[in-house]
This record gives sequence, C-alpha cells and structure tokens, in this order.
Amino acid sequence: MNNLLEINNISKNYHTKNGEIEAIKNISFKIKKGEIISIVGPSGCGKSTLLSIISELDHDYFGKIIKDNNLKIAYMLQSDALLPWLTIYENAILGLKIKKRLDNETLDYVNYLFDFYNLSEFKESYPKNLSGGMRQRVALIRTLALKPDLLLLDEPFSALDQQSRLLISDDVYKIVKKEKKTVILVTHNIEEAVSFSDRVIVLSKRPSQIKNIININFTNQESIYERRKEKYYHQYFDTIWKDLDINES
Amino acid sequence: MSLDQKKYLHKLHMNKIKVIICQIFLIVSFLFLWEYLVNKGIISSFIYSSPSRVIKTIKELIESHNFFNHIYITLKEVFISFTLGISLGFIIALILYEFKFLAKVIDPFLTMLNSLPKVALGPLIIIACGANIKSIILMALLINLIVSIITIYNGFLGTDEYILKLFKTLGASRFQILTKLVIPSSYQTIIASFKLGIAQTLIGVIMGEFLVSKEGIGYLIVYGKQVFNLNYVMTGIILLGIISYILYKLIIILENKLLKHL
Ligand SMILES: Nc1ncnc2c1ncn2[C@@H]1O[C@H](COP(=O)(O)OP(=O)(O)OP(=O)(O)O)[C@@H](O)[C@H]1O
Ligand SMILES: [Mg+2]
Repeated sequence: MNNLLEINNISKNYHTKNGEIEAIKNISFKIKKGEIISIVGPSGCGKSTLLSIISELDHDYFGKIIKDNNLKIAYMLQSDALLPWLTIYENAILGLKIKKRLDNETLDYVNYLFDFYNLSEFKESYPKNLSGGMRQRVALIRTLALKPDLLLLDEPFSALDQQSRLLISDDVYKIVKKEKKTVILVTHNIEEAVSFSDRVIVLSKRPSQIKNIININFTNQESIYERRKEKYYHQYFDTIWKDLDINES
Repeated sequence: MSLDQKKYLHKLHMNKIKVIICQIFLIVSFLFLWEYLVNKGIISSFIYSSPSRVIKTIKELIESHNFFNHIYITLKEVFISFTLGISLGFIIALILYEFKFLAKVIDPFLTMLNSLPKVALGPLIIIACGANIKSIILMALLINLIVSIITIYNGFLGTDEYILKLFKTLGASRFQILTKLVIPSSYQTIIASFKLGIAQTLIGVIMGEFLVSKEGIGYLIVYGKQVFNLNYVMTGIILLGIISYILYKLIIILENKLLKHL
C-alpha cells in the first residue's frame, strides 16, 4: 500500500438544540506519502470538521479512514495557541513534553529548527514580545518537533499580514519538501493552494461534497515564489476560482 | 539613554512623588481638621473621638497589655479563614470543572447561598460551634468561600478554546490539561479572587468577633459601644482601615510577582 491515508465516504452531522447540521457528505480521497494536498471551500463548509476527524479529535462520524495505526499526525491551528506564561523555548517543546518524548535527539532537532527559522536568540523571550509571524513560526516548530508523518494545517497563516504570510508559507514549504512530509492544508487563499500543493480539493457548500480535484503539475519543487511564475499558474487559479464561484451563487 | 528618555523617566518619577505628597497632605489635613473641630466643640468629642484621643487609647491599650494581642487575634483569624476559603474554593472549583454535570446540578444552590445574607446565620453558628474562634472562622468562610468558588470556576471556564484544542490534538490527559493549561491560565482570575476574598474575609471575621465578643478588633469595637467609650470604636475602625490596606497591598505584590509575563 503506498497510500498514507485513505478517506472513504466520510459524512458528519452535528446535532444541536436548533436542529441537525449536515456538515460533510460522502467525502473520499487518498493521499500518498510526501504529497501535499490543499482543501479549499466556502466558509463554514466543513473543512475544519474534516481535519478534526482525520486527526482523531472527533470520533463521531460515518465512513471509514484507512491508515497505519502508528501514523503520527500533527494538527496546526489558525491561532498560534502559544501559552503566554511559558518562554518561546518552553512553548516549542510543549508537545514533546506532553507526549513524554523529551530526549537529546528530539531536543537537538528543536534546536536545529530554531536555527533554521533564525529564532535562537528569542528562546528565552515570552510570546507577547514576538511579532505574529515569529509566533506562528514557534507554533510550527512545536508541531514539527513531534516529527509527524502527516501534517494537518488549518488556515495556519490567515492571521498574518500578507508579507509575513508569504515568507512563512515559503519557509513551511521548504522544510516540508526537505523532510518529505505529507501535508493537508486548509486555506481560503487560492494562490496559496495552487503554489503550495500537488493537488487541490475543492469542496462545495454545506452539506459539503467534493466539487473538483485539480492536479497541479509544476516542475519547480523548491520555492513557492518560483512556483507562482509557472506557466499554468493562472490557469489553475481560474479553474479553482470558477469552481468556488459557482458554489457561492 | 537619550536625553528625551531621561526626561520622560524623570517626569514619571516626579509624578509619582507628587501623588504621594498629595496623599500625605490629605491625611495630615484630615487629622488636623478632625482634632480642630473636636477641640472647638463643633463636633462631639464623645461620639467622634479625636486623633489625640485615639493615640491616648492606643497607649492605654498597649499598657494594659492586650492591644497587640487583639490585632494578632484578628490577623490570625483572617489568615486562617482566607487560606481555608481560597484553598477550598480552588479545590471545589476544580471538582466542578471536572464534573460539569455536578456543576449544573448545584448551580442554583450556589447562587442562593451567594445572595443569602450570612449574618442571618450568626445565631445558628454561635449555638452550633460555641462562642469561640471556630464560629468566627465559619462565619468568614461562609462569606468568602462561595465567591472564591464562583470566581475561580469561571476562570477555569475561560480557558482559551484554541489552546484546549491544541492540548487535545497532542493527546494530553485530563490531568495534564488541568495542571499545564487550565490552572496556569487562570492565575489572573485566581489573584482576582484573592482580592475579593481578602475583603470578604475581613468582613466575616469582624462580624464573627461581634457575635463571639471575646477578643480581637471586632471585640474592641463592640466593647467600646457597650461601655460607651467611643474612643475604642474609632481606634478599632482606624486599625481595620490600616490592616485592610496592608493586606490588599500584599496581594498586589504577590500579583506582580506571579503575573510578570502576562
Ligand atoms: N461543534 C459544533 N456543533 C455544531 N455545529 C458545528 C460545530 N462545529 C462546526 N459546526 C458547523 O458545521 C459547519 C462546518 O464547520 P467547520 O468549522 O468545519 O467549517 P469550515 O469549513 O472550517 O469553516 P471556516 O472556513 O469558517 O473555517 C458549520 O456550519 C458550523 O456551524
Ligand atoms: Mg475552519
């Protein structure tokens, strides 16, 4: 089996006092090791719900997920979720600490990541003294420190300004490619989806189903800046734009 | 440091000094005015005492050897009831947070207890516990405990949802979520409950001392009333004012130490 993860006919309904909400309906896709998939779709269509199910936060759904039992999944949220009373360094090793995986090897890797992101001199600072972009990088270090096989990113850059967003998504792209991580990225930003991923899944509005899957065939695999200059970039953009637009009306 | 920065810091410093000078001026002129009005017979020295009479009363109390004991007794009672109230409040809030169903069940009873005027329970407490320190501490606890529980519990409920979700994705146990997230993120509310608690505890202790009438500052006040020596009453009130200010300040110092990074 060369699929890291197989999602088969996943459906999810929320039950509330005011009634039942059909969030997602019959969603299926497969993801291979080392692949990067983006999921785009209208607001409130169920993207976060899907990630919650994949990350096993939510067990209450229909359908089947096939994956290796030892698959390490890490989930990165839109908010950096740093603890204000811990230093940057303590925040970065929080996941390792909770999972009781603190040892020389994991700590070396954390230090390497700090160097990679040029954050070493801020290790002893507190989150409130860092810019939004830096905080998001710390959240990323905390996530990567767990050496996950599958990285779930739920609009991780959307709280940032445009410039930080570009810089940080390029950073993430580079490290993800370098370490051959498998990624599912949820985003509202079509440019981000196209430049970041090998495949873009477009969801319809609720109850959300797969509207279209677009394979992105770019030659460059190193930098999202370069990928944005590729010949078919705008074509991909337009296709996704249309798929989304039809949904809105 | 640049000249402007120096100027700025200097201004800040001067401002602080100005505030303190004004405060001292206010106190001194209040004391003088009080003394003056009483001496001139404009207000009654019998009812309102006077600064010099208060000082004389304090001297008398020190000479008859029970002045510091009364203060010590009151402080001891405050300390015990405050510590008990805060720790019990914390533990009960934790239990309620862990068992949301229980919290729902007892919610109306908490609200009822919270708004019940606790003085009404005075006679009951005295008869149940006897005229001793136990009654005083129970009275203070009744007053400060419910507020501590409610404040701290609400602090726990205010834990950031995103961070909670993060902890869950990391597979944190309930114990880890409590110790590493819920409790530390409620430091601010817990300190706030200290501030409320210390004021409530003082009220409770003095009320208890009124009832028990054996020793302590509350006793001094009741005693003064009974023998029609209102100098005692005034001295007691002034002592209470000073004590509550100092206790509050201590909590502020603790707050600054604990919440440095927030
Ligand atoms: N715990 C819940 N209880 C009830 N309804 C929920 C719950 N969580 C989400 N929903 C509903 O399910 C739908 C999908 O929510 P979800 O957060 O997955 O959407 P999303 O695609 O991530 O949205 P956004 O783009 O705004 O992040 C929404 O209509 C939302 O109101
Ligand atoms: Mg979402």
